[in-house]
Amino acid sequence: MAYEALDFYDIDSLLSDEERMVRDMVRDWVDEKVIPNIEEACRDGVFPDEWRVDLGEMGILGAPLKGYGCPGLSYIAYGLICQELERGDSGVRSFASVQGSLAMYPIWDFGSEEQKNHYLPRMATGEWVGCFGLTEPDYGSNPGDMITRAEDKGDHYLLNGAKMWITNGTIADLAVVWAKLDGVIRGFIVEKGDPGFTAPEMTGKHSLKASVTSELVFQDCRIPKDRILPDVKGLKGPFSCLNNARFGISWGAVGAAQSCFNSAKEYALSRIQFDHPIASFQLVQNKLAWMLREITKAQLLAYHLGQKKDDGTWIPEHISLAKMNNVDIALEIARMARDIHGANGILDEYPVMRHMANLESVKTYEGTHDIHNLILGRHITGIQAFTREFTE
Amino acid sequence: MTIAVLLKQVPDTTSKISVSGGRVDESAVSKWSMSPYDEYALESALQLKESGGGDVVAITCGPARAAKMLTDAAAVGADSLLHVLVEDLNALDSTQVQAILAAAVSHCSAQVVFCGKQAADTNAGSTGPGVAHLMGASCVTMVSEVASEGDSFTAMRASSGGDQRVAVSAPCLFAFDKGTTELRRPNVRGIMMAKKKVAETLGASDLGVDTSASSVSVDSHSPPPEKPPGQRFEGVDSVAVVVSKLRDEANVI
Repeated sequence: MAYEALDFYDIDSLLSDEERMVRDMVRDWVDEKVIPNIEEACRDGVFPDEWRVDLGEMGILGAPLKGYGCPGLSYIAYGLICQELERGDSGVRSFASVQGSLAMYPIWDFGSEEQKNHYLPRMATGEWVGCFGLTEPDYGSNPGDMITRAEDKGDHYLLNGAKMWITNGTIADLAVVWAKLDGVIRGFIVEKGDPGFTAPEMTGKHSLKASVTSELVFQDCRIPKDRILPDVKGLKGPFSCLNNARFGISWGAVGAAQSCFNSAKEYALSRIQFDHPIASFQLVQNKLAWMLREITKAQLLAYHLGQKKDDGTWIPEHISLAKMNNVDIALEIARMARDIHGANGILDEYPVMRHMANLESVKTYEGTHDIHNLILGRHITGIQAFTREFTE
Repeated sequence: MTIAVLLKQVPDTTSKISVSGGRVDESAVSKWSMSPYDEYALESALQLKESGGGDVVAITCGPARAAKMLTDAAAVGADSLLHVLVEDLNALDSTQVQAILAAAVSHCSAQVVFCGKQAADTNAGSTGPGVAHLMGASCVTMVSEVASEGDSFTAMRASSGGDQRVAVSAPCLFAFDKGTTELRRPNVRGIMMAKKKVAETLGASDLGVDTSASSVSVDSHSPPPEKPPGQRFEGVDSVAVVVSKLRDEANVI
């Protein structure tokens, strides 16, 4: 059966032809390449290299960036790409988010002309994979106190420190790494093979199993002077990248929720208990109605946020609300879908438990659910509640 | 060289077809797609263009919704688009459709035509040979690939005795079967280019084709009969019955 995306309020009619065509292209690719192979990729714990090649060939990496070989699509088109990729698997969307929003974006926005010309065209085609090093083992929600340091050694920079939970790290050709230079957070481009740089893979994940997660280790890592991102200082650099990635996640979560909803609906219609399909029972209908209601609200949030991104009237708190809400309801929908599937819900024949396990990560990365609440709390009250030290 | 590719928009092969009031209910079709054999014709035309130059014009005859399929063709590389707008294709007989398409091909000054061997909805298979007849063109059916050298073309086609290589010269028409060719996927660049390719839209009368009197009318559609329910056997006692049914009725053991 052809995939029929839940679109109760006909968001489709609000899209441009171009946005719809891009969405359909990615949707078809996910149906053809991701869904038939995702369970094997998860079992093997690999991100198939073929997917990297295909994403590059489709031309969707760094979707909203313009120039330097980048696609220059609308933010709504970028959102739709994330939605379709995450309908397949959060790990596939993570690859694209990190490549586009976390690795290409800082080079595009804060890099020198030479850096942009050198890195962006090859990253847009997927030839070079990028990763983003901000989080450290002891500094997750609190990246401002990071330990990783850069020293100016005259003709080069010397990096020391370690990053953790880095998507794409081991397979990356370059890493955008945030480190303190004279106490100020700066961005550096570290390339695979730079002396003193290693990226061992983290293993044992129960979530995002088809996505590569790594540590980045810098031990007297020497990089040339022209690898610093010249145009940004402080947390503004990494946070502006995260805004774009979080925007994509708010759409991606809708895709995962749509996948769970479809699976639950079909299962409920075909599963017979007490001589009737379980979809005919009120408790099951109540669950399906709740899913439809929350997905529809999430779609409207994502779409309106996309319009605000495209016309430049957004603030970071808008993104916090959408990321937090949409991942939250997607996770709840995945759990509820697993419930409707009964024991079958734990099998890899159905996508629901995989989405559920993935979304546990998505709820935590790119600003945890609680941190986004604190961002909104600060917005409402004007009082920051991240730390007990009352300094801004 | 202009290669005309004839495309038909049909219910996607994964869509559920329902019949209501003796007619296929088109409003219930969830997804419309390019007919699969036409996709092979388009892919082969694009490959021929890439190897030998020329341009590809995608032609369809159908209702307004078929415009999307032409844009999809533009996104993978069709250079220009011609839409002969016919709101109810089912009201025409195959001769009329062939006359429209042959006139459209002539309108584009194309001497070479690629199409699918049959449409996935009607499965009639008459369009290719019919258009070739009206054009006075050579017609090769069940084609898997086409190569060109100057004005001459060689087509590979499967036959019961093995593959045949057929040589023809323009004007000619090739009706494609599913070959081993891998279909290209659109990309963002193609989609953005497609935005700039506006289809020329004509009516049948603009092409001088009279569509007033169809010589064939379809009385009704009906869904295929439902499969009879399977038989269930339980318990050791039924083994002999099952064996005899498999041996004497199903003839499988």
